[in-house]
Amino acid sequence: MSNETDPTPASLSALLAETSIRLDLTASNKEDAIRQTGAALLEAGAIDASYTNAMLERERSVSTFVGEGVAIPHGTLSGKDSVINDALVVLRFPDGVDWDGNDVRVCVGIAARGNGHIALLSQLATVLLDPDRAAALRAATTSSLVYELLTPDPEDE
Amino acid sequence: MATIDGSSIKKLIVACDAGMGSSVMLASTLKKQLAKNGVTVEHSPVASIPSDADLVFTHTGLADRARHTVPDVPVVPFQLFLGDPAVAKIVKAIQNGETFEA
Repeated sequence: MSNETDPTPASLSALLAETSIRLDLTASNKEDAIRQTGAALLEAGAIDASYTNAMLERERSVSTFVGEGVAIPHGTLSGKDSVINDALVVLRFPDGVDWDGNDVRVCVGIAARGNGHIALLSQLATVLLDPDRAAALRAATTSSLVYELLTPDPEDE
Repeated sequence: MATIDGSSIKKLIVACDAGMGSSVMLASTLKKQLAKNGVTVEHSPVASIPSDADLVFTHTGLADRARHTVPDVPVVPFQLFLGDPAVAKIVKAIQNGETFEA
């Protein structure tokens, strides 16, 4: 495969803007963390304000905790109409957030109508199945490290 | 519950509410694990699971809705999006062409 080491392909930074990677936040509880995730997606121009309610509604039906200290808040099917542009945000809460008994350190917020974010989520799944890389993501203090971890493997489709 | 032949699974659907996040992550993981076994893995909202699926994985909280959408397709509920034991067991059965209960 290619030996080029561009850590941030244009497609990745288009979906996950550097200003949408916020690594030193605190949240008083799960709802607060989801509201902050919604606010970051709103600032990224990804959603209209009603999407945050769809995120909270989704969380009430099924938790978006995916393991390894990571949750991926996103809206419901009906909330898709509130998505303006597909985008992701990464919010890190170094002190942790109680997520129904799970300790969440990183929220990856998702707003998507299309499928452009699938490679990135697939890479996130790969990172979370590798305990060392999952720990690196939980401890990340620079956006360049977040980009490095979430850059899809070129051997994937 | 029925006994299912792992080698008969050709189309596996991971269903969640929006088909936007969690199901995408599990589907991409399963796609890699089952690529050699000729299994097509897709993600879908529970309300639009294709009726030609051979097997559906969905979160416990959505299992009833999934069964309502595709009453004739076995639905396997799971709790954890990554590393769920029920999912791991079936993946292994499909990889080895063994039978499993669902």
